[in-house]
Amino acid sequence: MSTSDDDDPEAIEARLRALGADLAVPAPPPADVARAVRARLADAAGPVRDGDGNTESGPGGQRGSRRGSRRGSRQGSPGRVPRWSRRPAGRRPRVAAAPVAVLVAVAMAVLLGATPQGRAAVASVLRFAGVEIHVGGAGPLPTGVPSPLPGERRVTLEEARRTARFSVAVPSALGEPADVRLADGGRVVTLLWPGVRLDEFDGTLGVVWRKELGEPWPEQVDAVGGWWIPRPHGVSYVPAGGGEPREEQVAGPTLIWQHKLAGLRLEGPDRAEAVRIALSVR
Amino acid sequence: MDDDEAVTRALAGDLDAYEVLVTRYSAVAHRTASLLGAADETEDVVQEAFVKAFRHLKGFRRGSSFRPWLLRIVANETHDLTRSRGRRSDLAVRLGREREPYGPGGPGDPQDAVMDADGRTRLLEAVRALPDRDREAVVCRYFLQLSEAETAEVLGVRLGTVKSRTFRALRRLREEVSREHLG
Repeated sequence: MSTSDDDDPEAIEARLRALGADLAVPAPPPADVARAVRARLADAAGPVRDGDGNTESGPGGQRGSRRGSRRGSRQGSPGRVPRWSRRPAGRRPRVAAAPVAVLVAVAMAVLLGATPQGRAAVASVLRFAGVEIHVGGAGPLPTGVPSPLPGERRVTLEEARRTARFSVAVPSALGEPADVRLADGGRVVTLLWPGVRLDEFDGTLGVVWRKELGEPWPEQVDAVGGWWIPRPHGVSYVPAGGGEPREEQVAGPTLIWQHKLAGLRLEGPDRAEAVRIALSVR
Repeated sequence: MDDDEAVTRALAGDLDAYEVLVTRYSAVAHRTASLLGAADETEDVVQEAFVKAFRHLKGFRRGSSFRPWLLRIVANETHDLTRSRGRRSDLAVRLGREREPYGPGGPGDPQDAVMDADGRTRLLEAVRALPDRDREAVVCRYFLQLSEAETAEVLGVRLGTVKSRTFRALRRLREEVSREHLG
């Protein structure tokens, strides 16, 4: 290199091109990007608010159900993206799950603030009724095969009421559940109706569920003092006594609220119906 | 499947076809967002841009090139982001790998290699110091190696504007670089 080069108009252009070639710009594997984009397009394209469309995404699509096929687990409505759902599990980039979050037990508190760890894109954390919601840095939706909760077993409603550490509420709008599950030593009770899943849990002592969302923020639902998550998202169960959250799975749009000492998450119905059901809990 | 066929099929709602386009342009989209200032939000910007591009695919003029059309959406997303963050659309990159001094494409002489590494850092600083608009033109023309016409489309300005901004930027860069030499 010589000084005289700098007076040559083409020399500076060549140097800029060479400089550009040396600039390191990290990017995720294109296939992962394609998958994430596709998941978002598939979410929006389908009949998200159609209760029938969500039939399998509620109980069926979630862990623990007999109908919990991988197909049903993928999206709100399985018919929407069938091919997508059959992708092999385990190729998911674990972007969102990488840094282990500090799971502090704060009951009934809503905390807004930047998470100190992880990617800067993980914007904020909302903790409410035993559910910790991370907004902002979610990776692609998980593709894992649904697995039951720890110690999950089918019980009668009476047994669930005897064993659970909180009082089990049944929304009168739905009547008797078609199926009842008890898990993790009475920490979680799951009530199932066709197309509807209601998890009730000990929501006062610590984080039971962890959710990973992209924007937008969950919507506040004043009628029940809770939050509505309008889009499919990743959810993982945080075992009692701490430890690593379990494998992340897909949840459809979900309402979260608190009733007495129980935290509740309702999945399956659209927002209006979910609120109606929540208000019928006595 | 070429771009045109992929666009045609994506317009009919074929997500497989769109996935082909996303895969094909993912790298350049990340590079564009990053070099235009998306910094650590590059991945979010790119995802958002691809989602928007799909939704606005009807607005894509058939027969034209898909790449600059997509990159314009990426650039707009990046601008929205930097504006909303109230920060300058900085060139948030580092010099990556040092060139192999003896390797292909590298300067032939080891002494030149040392000089060149130094010069590149200075040059990068000088690019960074350019006014936003001029810097963006330089980024598109030389770092992304887009043509003047593509640059105009991506930045949403006229061809003449690209030419004048590039001209002004190059003059400034030459001045900066020769000043360094004198100093």
